[in-house]
Amino acid sequence: MTLIDFIIAALKAIVILVAVIQVVPVMIYVERKVAALIQDRPGPNRVGPFGLLQPVADALKFLLKEDPIPHYTNRLLYTLAPFLSLIPACLVIAALPIADKAVLFGREITIQIADLDVSLIYVLAIGSLGVYGILFGGWASNNKFSLIGSLRSASQMVSYELPLGLAAVGAVMVFGTFSLREMVIQQEGTLLGILPNWGVFYQPIGFLIFLVASFAETNRLPFDLPESEAELVAGFHTEYGSMKFATFFMAEYMNLATMSGLMTVIYFGGWHLPWVSDAKLLEILGSQNLLCIIQVATYIFKVSVFMFLYVLIRWTLPRFRFDQLLTLSWGSLIPIGLINIVVSAVLMYVLGGK
Amino acid sequence: MKEAVFTFFSLFTLLTAAGVILSRNIIYSAFNLVLCFFGLASLYLLWGATFLSMIQILIYAGAIVVLFVFVVMLLNFEKPTEQKTRFSIIVLSSAGVWTLALILLRVLSKSLGEIPSLETPAKASVRTISKLLFSQYLWPFEVLTVFLLALIVGIFVLARPEKEETP
Repeated sequence: MTLIDFIIAALKAIVILVAVIQVVPVMIYVERKVAALIQDRPGPNRVGPFGLLQPVADALKFLLKEDPIPHYTNRLLYTLAPFLSLIPACLVIAALPIADKAVLFGREITIQIADLDVSLIYVLAIGSLGVYGILFGGWASNNKFSLIGSLRSASQMVSYELPLGLAAVGAVMVFGTFSLREMVIQQEGTLLGILPNWGVFYQPIGFLIFLVASFAETNRLPFDLPESEAELVAGFHTEYGSMKFATFFMAEYMNLATMSGLMTVIYFGGWHLPWVSDAKLLEILGSQNLLCIIQVATYIFKVSVFMFLYVLIRWTLPRFRFDQLLTLSWGSLIPIGLINIVVSAVLMYVLGGK
Repeated sequence: MKEAVFTFFSLFTLLTAAGVILSRNIIYSAFNLVLCFFGLASLYLLWGATFLSMIQILIYAGAIVVLFVFVVMLLNFEKPTEQKTRFSIIVLSSAGVWTLALILLRVLSKSLGEIPSLETPAKASVRTISKLLFSQYLWPFEVLTVFLLALIVGIFVLARPEKEETP
């Protein structure tokens, strides 16, 4: 690796990470506005036009507040915990293929921080580490409600990693690779002439399992049992305030972005526009960089659709009870996932190939 | 360059492994264990075995230690209880340690001649591993899985609450 390659890789990492962090303020605004829409009230409308500057005001409030550490907590882990949940959320982004490639100064630059050959496992592995922030945070708070929130989070994460992995196995079988980039490349073109050649049409059940499990993995309603404010005050972050609380919040939204990105990449063709092949688009546009911009826009659009779905579901469905949550995973999602694998294997054997 | 990175992560792994044993607080032990697994995963990565290193993180750091921490928090072992060390415990545990040491010594002495160099990357792609697992090592693999299954069933039988007789 020469110095210039290293600089390009570093710049790519910084640019993509900073771009993805912008998800947080946008999501704060969207979440509050959609909540207001669903509950038939105006929502934030004081700061800036249409309340658009509300996230800025929120961020300033968090930054300017005093940052207390209660005396009864375990100082080390209490301070460390928010970052333990933010860092994995940031690391995961490295493996997501956002677009094909751009040509800058005569160099081909792939729009993905790191193209690992096992990027799917990387995402699942690093994504599963976010739970430590919640676990240690709740424990270090030395508060019964926080501890219960942490315990719930631990069992919830372990239970829902399995269906998530099983759903992913189905996709891996169809595409025959663990590389997310390779998966996206294979989803170009059309299926049977009418449908876009997307993973969701090969693995519809796998996709549904993945979707449900991703809600639990990101601690979103209807599965936000670790914080469920009606029972546990605020769950694992009861004792957290100001910027430390905001860090937990950022981690949640980043996780949402990665989960949406992962579903886009595995099941919805990543950067591909439906029905139009990249080669044809390149012919029309005549420039690789323009094509790259279109691809990035397509990717962002698909991800935003999923993020919007997360928000919509958050404000429409009530929270599950904890035993219902565990029964859903062990009693239905995991068996369905296993059956899905067997059925796909048989179908692939009978039909030959995909 | 590679040697420096290797030395750093080896030391990191050893230090955190020591931290697991030496920490007074059991939560710190668990935290060190996670870091130790990360050190190991980095070593695999350095050797070119990406799949192995990711699986190491996914299984051990992502699931098993989470369950450790879960149990620790549930039972609240925060203050170590002073227990009288019984003679039988000492005998049994030292027997276990010596057996493990013998096995390790045997394995190490056998493979000492063929320590892989960092320069030759490991042939450990997903394809190679799965091929070996389902051809050459099929029997050990199956026996191991059945053994683990038996353990799970055994634990379930032991932990199951006894049925109360209804009048």
